[in-house]
Amino acid sequence: MALNMNAINFQSPKCPSFALPPIASHRSPKFFMASTLRSGSNEVETVKKPFSPPREVHVQVTHSMPPQKIEIFKAMEDWAENNILVHLKPVEKCWQPQDFLPDPASDGFHDQVKELRERAKEIPDDYFVVLVGDMITEEALPTYQTMLNTLDGVRDETGASPTSWAVWTRAWTAEENRHGDLLNKYLYLCGRVDMRQIEKTIQYLIGSGMDPKSENSPYLGFIYTSFQERATFISHGNTARHAREHGDLKLAQICGTIASDEKRHETAYTKIVEKLFEIDPDGTVLAFADMMRKKISMPAHLMYDGRDDNLFDHFSAVAQRLGVYTARDYADILEHLVGRWKVENLTGLSADGQKAQDYVCGLPPRIRRLEERAQGRAKQAPRIPFSWIYDREVLL
Amino acid sequence: MAAVSATCIRFGTSVELPVRANNQIIGKSSSLVSFGWGKTGGFPCIRTSRLQICAAKPETVEKVSDIVRKQLALSPETQLTPQTKFTELGADSLDTVEIVMGLEEEFDISVEEENSENITTIQEAADLIDKLVDKKA
Repeated sequence: MALNMNAINFQSPKCPSFALPPIASHRSPKFFMASTLRSGSNEVETVKKPFSPPREVHVQVTHSMPPQKIEIFKAMEDWAENNILVHLKPVEKCWQPQDFLPDPASDGFHDQVKELRERAKEIPDDYFVVLVGDMITEEALPTYQTMLNTLDGVRDETGASPTSWAVWTRAWTAEENRHGDLLNKYLYLCGRVDMRQIEKTIQYLIGSGMDPKSENSPYLGFIYTSFQERATFISHGNTARHAREHGDLKLAQICGTIASDEKRHETAYTKIVEKLFEIDPDGTVLAFADMMRKKISMPAHLMYDGRDDNLFDHFSAVAQRLGVYTARDYADILEHLVGRWKVENLTGLSADGQKAQDYVCGLPPRIRRLEERAQGRAKQAPRIPFSWIYDREVLL
Repeated sequence: MAAVSATCIRFGTSVELPVRANNQIIGKSSSLVSFGWGKTGGFPCIRTSRLQICAAKPETVEKVSDIVRKQLALSPETQLTPQTKFTELGADSLDTVEIVMGLEEEFDISVEEENSENITTIQEAADLIDKLVDKKA
């Protein structure tokens, strides 16, 4: 969730939501207008649908990285094999969803399910809203594999390309795939949530996709994924902690295991960007500032359940209130990355590069100050029904 | 430093309130101090649109300009007019929010979310500030 700041891109009622104006790129890439309409103007039906999922409204920029930089990534393939692929776990050593779920082949299956449902009864609705939102995000995995394959120089050209980059992308996707599967099965069994509404939301979300504004540039793309992996690590870590507090140790284990995957992935992506800072410090710091100016938008910000036109805002407000993922976390992640990549110590930058360096290094305190102001004037929050929990209401 | 014009002139219709006595409307009085701008030139005119002068105080506009200059780190040569949009000066959405925060601190006021979206120029900021400060008094 971006500070939505949108992410945060954090866009909850308690957080200042800066308007995201459409940004026309000053570079010379090809770009085209994204639809700003919410009605189905391209649909065959003559009847205008009253409800439709949100769409990206910004101008979608493509191929902003100069083509000669593609060489950098070709030259990095050996380095990636030795330094990035090592962060993948061999499948034989990997956990599988079944490890954390009742065993259907066992005589004790029904009792195990009963226990799972007993534990789930003790967990409040607002926690489930956040867990469901996280699960839906994980289940939109096709969008993220797609996003990685939009990046110039590192995309999987055939679906089975042997390059280190393609091997990474497929294996990363395979590891992530278990997250959605595990959470889906848990939520199905727990009996606390409306699976049909959740499934509908997932179908809408995969249909909507998302544009993280990486513009086919692996610089922008890997900075984005570095940020996101850390964000999901923090988020799942918090849901694990809450589950423990509510007395469900198995669920805590589930969330914690997912979180540890995310940490491993964060390590890999931040390593790639660290290498880019080494090879091309000016280009990378400009990319970092660019992504932060555009704000890191959350992968599921277009989520829609057929009923709530502000579903993502409502979901992220609950996540903010529960402390699962907050505006403060956004600032903390940014600050962490600035330190991790030693942005303050960069030298030999161009004038624009120095401006970018100053911007990025000075941004975390500005975001914190903004968040304090928003908290200070937080008004009484409403209770909103969520279709994911049969329209039961939750405090935003 | 460019001379800053502190007055703005707006046209608007006056609100006419019926004056009641014994439940009968006996006349109308205008709730705004205004004078006519009729075609005949100078004659007070009740039914046509009225000329209304509103002026953000020059000191307010000056202070707002200073805060904007500081926030956007503008060079002393940069020309500032009350009508210049912040975005024209290179402000992004974060800068705009911080400008509003700076104004709140300087003038000890509180700007609602909805109003802050309408502040895009120095003039708009100054007008809102004077309005809020007057309300406080």
